Amino acid sequence: MILATLLTYNTIVVAAAVGAVGLAAGMVGALAVLRRRALAGDAAAHGTLAGVALAFLATGRRELPWLLLGGLATALVTLAALVFIRRWTRTRDDAATALVLGVSFGVGVALVTGITARGLPDSAGLEQFLLGHTAAVTATDAALLAACAVGAAALVVLGLKEATLVAFDDAFAAAAGWPVAVIDLALVGLVAVMVVVGLPAAGAVLVTALLVIPPVAARQWTERVPSLVTLSAVIGAGAALAGVVVSGLVPRLATGPVVVLACAAVCAVSVLAAPERGWLARRRRARWADAAWRESRILAALAAERPVAGDAADNALLRRLIATGLAEPATAGFRLTVAGRERAVEQARRRAAWEAILVVAPDDARAFLTMEVPDPATVIDPARHAEITRLSRTTP
Amino acid sequence: MTSGWPVIDPLHAWNIATAMVVAAGCGLVGSLLVVRRMSLLGDAISHAVLPGIVLAVIAGGRPGGGLVMLGAVAAAVLTAWLTAGLTAGAGVAEDAGTGVAFTTLFALGVVLVSAFASRVDLDASCVLYGELELAAFDTVSVAGWEVPRGFMIGGLVLVGVVVAMAVTWKEQVFAAFDPAAARAAGVPVAMLSLGLLAATAVTTVAGFGVAGAVLVVALLVVPAATAELLVDRLHRLAILAAVIGMLAAAIGYLAAWRLNTSAAGMIAVVLGGGYVLAVLVAPGDGLLARVCSASALRWRVAREDRLASMWREAEGTAGGGSAGPLAWLATRALTIEGAVERSAGRWRLTAAGRSRAETIVRSHRLWEAWLGRNVELPLDHLHPPAEWVEHHIGRGVRERLAAEVGEQAGDPHGRAIPPESARHRAGDG
Repeated sequence: MILATLLTYNTIVVAAAVGAVGLAAGMVGALAVLRRRALAGDAAAHGTLAGVALAFLATGRRELPWLLLGGLATALVTLAALVFIRRWTRTRDDAATALVLGVSFGVGVALVTGITARGLPDSAGLEQFLLGHTAAVTATDAALLAACAVGAAALVVLGLKEATLVAFDDAFAAAAGWPVAVIDLALVGLVAVMVVVGLPAAGAVLVTALLVIPPVAARQWTERVPSLVTLSAVIGAGAALAGVVVSGLVPRLATGPVVVLACAAVCAVSVLAAPERGWLARRRRARWADAAWRESRILAALAAERPVAGDAADNALLRRLIATGLAEPATAGFRLTVAGRERAVEQARRRAAWEAILVVAPDDARAFLTMEVPDPATVIDPARHAEITRLSRTTP
Repeated sequence: MTSGWPVIDPLHAWNIATAMVVAAGCGLVGSLLVVRRMSLLGDAISHAVLPGIVLAVIAGGRPGGGLVMLGAVAAAVLTAWLTAGLTAGAGVAEDAGTGVAFTTLFALGVVLVSAFASRVDLDASCVLYGELELAAFDTVSVAGWEVPRGFMIGGLVLVGVVVAMAVTWKEQVFAAFDPAAARAAGVPVAMLSLGLLAATAVTTVAGFGVAGAVLVVALLVVPAATAELLVDRLHRLAILAAVIGMLAAAIGYLAAWRLNTSAAGMIAVVLGGGYVLAVLVAPGDGLLARVCSASALRWRVAREDRLASMWREAEGTAGGGSAGPLAWLATRALTIEGAVERSAGRWRLTAAGRSRAETIVRSHRLWEAWLGRNVELPLDHLHPPAEWVEHHIGRGVRERLAAEVGEQAGDPHGRAIPPESARHRAGDG
């Protein structure tokens, strides 16, 4: 029964098209996020609603191609308004984005409500563009969506080198003779197109998620742009498919929220568990750094035949030193074995070398501060640390 | 639709009053969000409070009640926390982090609304548009008066916001304009931000019934962004933002009633119209003001160039002079001003015109002389900068230049520098 619902011809075609849209949105979004244009798409997305309503008024029918074309027109007007506000007024970027988003959505809501209130034939379905609903998409419409998505994806592949260059160093790109403004314009245009073809899948309010969340998730797993774009595409396609399937099975559930939650789940897993940048990996590295620091402190104390006045973590580490044969119990407390003494000497040598560098050429040492180091607040005497912090703020 | 104004109808009057009270609170909070560059957080919070509200309603809270407020504040704090976690913890850019956090929470809210539709008195259209038109039907009894619940909640929130802002005003101003210095001076900036977060959440809940989750952002940000174009002081900005919000709420409601469409949508449209108006007519920074002052400058430069060109012609150092419609107009205007006259088929400078022209040529040649002396420029590079500067320096500057270069020597091209006119025109000092 469930399988039969899933496997009608129309459902399969629509699912394939929406999957392609998710794929392309992930690719375009990766570039947009790298270029810090993530929320420009949000403003454009809210602007599409007015165009959808106007296109319906103009044609009198609810045919997807015309509605999306109208949406694209007003999305571009919204983006142009954003550029105009930035260029000609003193309203700052963040306020400009929120303003354009709110007002353009207000225009859309007023139009859609006005149309619906007048009871024009076919008008009831317009509200589906708010939160997305793929059930109403026909196979012909789906082919159009897929074609747009494939085109956008092809453009991303063709322009990947240029977009990467501009995203990472626009000043260099401009100096090297690349048309930065044109590349930016192409990127914003692609974002507008993706926002519009993403409307049936995610709706005007949430389609930004298709552009923003997959790249953020993918970014956790890779350091390279081509693999970032690929991974982001895969996540976007998967989430879009999940949205189609779940909202097809559950009546009254819009597609958009499901797509977003699927993206968010992948993103949460990525942020937590990615091998290098993930939260767990960072915590593990921080703990290793902390253990290494404690170990060197304990070794130094034992080498100097001072007592180890430590907390529970120190005691645990001391037990591990004994287990690995670096320390052993003595008549009063503990002492180092031969291997332990060798390690302590080596560490003392390294510390002395670093001390010399810090005293003579502190700038050379600064480059290594990016390594995982213990939080100074946990290492240095609190009062002294506060004093140093105050000093470092007053000296530029 | 019948004619006549809806204000006569008490239901409409209550709806409008509700919208105005809510808009005033949003305008005040929004002014702080805008000057602290936290508008996008306002956008994010207005979406993200949805799951908090829905969960509170499922748990038995009344719309606008204490439990719902608490749920909304919790959701707002969660949004800020998630954004900060993604930004600081996972190295995501701030706008992308905000985008991830609020779309996720809003989607969660919509799914919760769908899943608990039977138990929650909210539906998708209410979430997106608000139900301002129905505000007057849900009343509570206050001292024998039947007052709409939305008006009561909006009023309480407004009073709370006004009191909180008045009490912390000095610190808010400090934190808004120099957060680093404020922190160093011991102002609890983080606490203020948290308070602003909570205030945004609470006003959003009050605005929820009026404008819906998405359009609250228009109520928060647009009045403040508009006011920012018109005034420079923070307290004026806040008050003006509240007034703009209230006006837009009333006008938008009436427009929606006449046009039979969504009040929330029309309020946002009116707010947008107000912003466009402010962009056009704002004093000093507005587009019209800029166009006017640029045109006035061009007009003065055109007339002065015409005078100087005729003076040089008489001196025999330049021929012809500029043609073109602007120069033609300038000549006509100068005739009316009495600086130029026509005799024997030729344009001539009058005594007054000659004196004005000499001031300009004197400025021009002094500047060339000074540049030639102090900046190593080739002779043919001296004219273009002097052509600009001649319109902008006054008597005091000319005297200093003359004292420095010695006017007897003439300009670098070997031409005499005309003497300072005794009757140079007013305002040229």
